[in-house]
Amino acid sequence: MVGGGIVVAVALPGCAFKGPHPIEVTDAGFVPNAFLQITPDNHVTFYCPSDEMGQGIRTGLATIVGEELDVNPATMLVKAAGSHEDYNNPEFRVQGTGGSNAVRVFYEPLRQVGADTRALLLNAASLDLGIPADQLLTADGFIVAGDRRYPYGDFVETASSLEMPIATELKAPSRFKYIGADAPRVDALAKATGTANFGIDADVPGMVYAVVVRPPVAGSKALSFDDSTARVAPGVLAVVPVSSGVAVVAERYWQANQAAKKLTIDWEETPLSTVTSEQVRQDLSAALEADNDTESTRAGDPEKAFADADAGTILETDYYAPFLAHAPMEPLNATLRITEDGADLWTGVQFVGAAQGVLERLTGLPRGNIKIHNQFLGGGFGRRATLSHIVEVAEIALSVDKPVQLLWSREDDLRHGFYRPAAMMKIKAAADSEGHITAWQARRSGANISAQTFKNALPGVLPNLPTGLLNGLAGAMDYVFKNWAVDGSSVEGLHETYSLPSYQVSHASVDHGLPTTFWRSVGHSYTSFAVESMMDELAEAKQLDPVALRLKNLNDKPRMQNVVAEAGQLMAAMTVPENHHLGFAAHSSFGTDVAQIAEVSVTEGQIRVHKVTCVVDCGLAVNPDIVTAQLEGAVMFALTAALYGSIDLEGGAVVQSNFHNYPILRMNESPAVDVVIIESETPPTGIGEPGVPPLAPAVANAVYRATGQRLRDLPLQLA
Amino acid sequence: MITFSLNGEPVRFNGDPSTPLLWVIRDDFKLKGSKFGCGAGLCGACTMHLDGTAIKTCVLPVAAAADKAVTTIEGLGNPEDLHPLQTAWIEHNVPQCGYCQSGQIMAAAALIADKPSASSEDVDNAMSGNICRCGCYPRIKAAIMSVAASALSYDAAATEANS
Repeated sequence: MVGGGIVVAVALPGCAFKGPHPIEVTDAGFVPNAFLQITPDNHVTFYCPSDEMGQGIRTGLATIVGEELDVNPATMLVKAAGSHEDYNNPEFRVQGTGGSNAVRVFYEPLRQVGADTRALLLNAASLDLGIPADQLLTADGFIVAGDRRYPYGDFVETASSLEMPIATELKAPSRFKYIGADAPRVDALAKATGTANFGIDADVPGMVYAVVVRPPVAGSKALSFDDSTARVAPGVLAVVPVSSGVAVVAERYWQANQAAKKLTIDWEETPLSTVTSEQVRQDLSAALEADNDTESTRAGDPEKAFADADAGTILETDYYAPFLAHAPMEPLNATLRITEDGADLWTGVQFVGAAQGVLERLTGLPRGNIKIHNQFLGGGFGRRATLSHIVEVAEIALSVDKPVQLLWSREDDLRHGFYRPAAMMKIKAAADSEGHITAWQARRSGANISAQTFKNALPGVLPNLPTGLLNGLAGAMDYVFKNWAVDGSSVEGLHETYSLPSYQVSHASVDHGLPTTFWRSVGHSYTSFAVESMMDELAEAKQLDPVALRLKNLNDKPRMQNVVAEAGQLMAAMTVPENHHLGFAAHSSFGTDVAQIAEVSVTEGQIRVHKVTCVVDCGLAVNPDIVTAQLEGAVMFALTAALYGSIDLEGGAVVQSNFHNYPILRMNESPAVDVVIIESETPPTGIGEPGVPPLAPAVANAVYRATGQRLRDLPLQLA
Repeated sequence: MITFSLNGEPVRFNGDPSTPLLWVIRDDFKLKGSKFGCGAGLCGACTMHLDGTAIKTCVLPVAAAADKAVTTIEGLGNPEDLHPLQTAWIEHNVPQCGYCQSGQIMAAAALIADKPSASSEDVDNAMSGNICRCGCYPRIKAAIMSVAASALSYDAAATEANS
C-alpha cells in the first residue's frame, strides 16, 4: 500500500527520524507523522512533499490527505515540506517534483496518512470520552459522538501517547466529498495579494547580492579576466571566479548588475563555438541519412510489413523541432547562508534532495544540518530541476563568507539555460486501404535528454562520490546513450498512442554540447508533432476523415479510443465561420489521454488560433477546476512554442536574449479554451504536461486545411 | 535625495538615482510583492502605479518617481481588505505559479480605475504588456470582466435610479 520511502506511522515524539526533522512544532502541536501537525486549538498543518510551481499540487495533495483525515483542505495551513528523506518522491527515491507524477504517486500513500491519523484520533477520543471507537464518527475536523462534537485538537495529547494504526481501510471513491469536487486553490489568496513568497523574495539579515557573468558559449571557461573597473564600482564587495564564470558581489542587486558589465573576460574556444542552428539541422538530417541508429523498441515484423505494403502508398516524411527555452517568469535565484555548523538555502527548486546534496558536497557539512527552505516556484517546466545556480551560490557564499543572494537576469536565463533539444524525426508508415496502419517506423536524431540531465544532477544525487569518479560516471552514461542504449525520454511518444501491429523506433544521437534537459512534456513535446501530423497525412492519402483514421488504429487502447471518439463528436458538431478551419490531434503521455481540436484562421500569412477544445481522461480528477486550468495553461505554453518558439545558435552562442526575440503568447493572442474531463473513478494520472503535446499538430493540421500548406517544421511559419 | 509617496506614506531614498524603482522598492523598502521578470519593460511582472498610471518599474529610474505617488500590490489591497480585483482573482482561481500576478492585478487595477466598465477589447489592450508563462489569460480576463460587469450593472442601476 505504502510507496517506498514514505514514512506513515512514525514520528511520535522521540521516534527515530533519520536526521533532524524540519517540522517546527508550534503551539503544543501534535506531529503524528511527517505530513501533519494538529494543534490543541484544532489547526491542521499539511507539509506538502511536492514543489508548487503553479500546477496546484499543494491544493491537490491537501485534498487527498484531507479526504481521509476528514478535514476540509481549504481550512488547512499548507506548507512546503522541509528537506528530508521522508518527503522523497516514491518513484524517484529522492525529494523532487516532475514527470507529472505527484498526484499519481502520492494518491494512495497520502490517503493512508490521512486514514491512519483519523483512526488514531478516533482511538484517542474513545479513551478520553469512554465511548467505543466504533460508535464515534468524524465530520470535518471534529469527532462526533451522538449530538456532541469535539474538535480533533481536544484529543491530540492522548493521541500522542498511542500507537499509530496502520493500513486503515480507505474510503470507496463513491464516498469522497473533497476529492473530485472543485475547490479554491489554497495559494490563491497569497498569490492575489503579493504575499506568496518566492525564492527571489528571501531576505536574510546581512545578505549581499551576486550576479554571475557566464560564457557566451556553454561550457567554455574564462582564460583570464580584467576586473579593475568592476572591483571599484559603487557597492562592489568582491569579484569571485566560479566554475561557471565570474561572480560580482555587491551591497545591492543593481550595483552588482551594473558592475558586472564592466568585467572584461577572455573565454576559451570550444567545439561548440562554431556551431550554428543551420549546422545542427544539417547534422541531425545527416545522422538519419547515415542510417545507423540504435533501436529502441519494436513489435511484429515491420520490415516484412513494409515489404508487403503497396510501395506506392508508403509515406515517409521528416519533421523538425528546434531548441527551446523554458523561460519561467521568475528568473533563477538562490539565497544561501552558511554558518559554522549548518547551511540554509532559500530557493525554488524541483529537486530539493539534489540541491541538498550539492550543498553537502560543496560545504562538507553533514546533510542533516543543511536545510532547504523551498519557496513557491515562479514557474518550473523542468528548468528548476537543474542545479547550476545552487552550485554557483555555494561557491560564492563559501568565498565571501556572508549570506548571498544570487539572481540570474532574463538574458542569463535564455542564453545560459538547459534547453529542450532540437529533434529531427523521420516517420515511415503504411496503411491498408481501410486505414489500418500495418507498418510504422519512427526515427529521431538529436541530443539525448536524460544523459545531460543526469550529468547535471549527479553531484547532488551522489554527494559523497569523489569528483573523479563522478566525471567518469557522467562520461560513461553519455557514452552509453550515444552508442549502446536509447534514452527513453528522447523517443517517448513515437509509437505509444496507437495500436500498431508492427513498428520500430530508433535513435541517432547527435550532441553539439548545448546543455539540454526536461522541458514540459519532454520528448512528447516534439514526437507528438511528427506522429499526429503523419496521422493527418495518412488520412488524406487514404481519403479518410482524420478522426475516423485514428479510431481505426486504437483497438487495444480503449481509453484513448473513447477520448478520440468524444472529441470527434464535438468536432463534428462544431460550426465555425467560413474562414476558420479545424485541426485535430491526440496524444498519450504521463498516463493521460488528451485530444485537442484547434480552430484556426490564416490571414496574410498570420496564423491565429481562436479556440482550442480539449478532451482529457486523467483518471479521477482530484480537483476538476485545476485540471481545467492545467489544460488551459498547457495550450498557451504549447501555442507559444508552436507559433514562436526557437532558440537559435550563432557561433555556438544563443541568439535570443529577452522577450522581444523570444516572444511569449500574450492575452490578445490567446485562444479560448474549452475542457471536457471524462468522468472516471480510476486512480489519477498526470496532468501538468499531457496538455502540451497535441497542440502543435492540431494547429498544423488546421493550417493545412486552411492553406493547403503542410508545415513540417516548428515553429509553424507559412511560406 | 529623492522623496516620494509609497502606498500613502512619505519615503526618501538616498542611493543612486538611476536605480530602477523596482529594486528600490524590493531591496530598500523590502516590499517583495512586485516582481522582477525581464529587466527590459517587456513582461510587466514589475508593474506598479505612478500617480495612478500602470508603469513598468524595472526600467524606471527611481528619480522619475520624485514627488509622485507610488502604489504597489501591497498598497492596493491586503488579505484582510481585498481590492475587488483580488476578490475576483480568488473567485476565478486565477493564479498558477502566481509570480506575474501582482503585475497583472496592478495593470488591471489601473484599467478598471480608468474605465470601470471596460470592454473585452479594452482588457486585451491594457493587459497585452503583461506576460503569464503559465497561460492564465482566460481566467485573468474573466476575473477582470466580472469586475467590469459589476461596474456596468452598477452604472445601469444608477442611471435607472436617476431617470
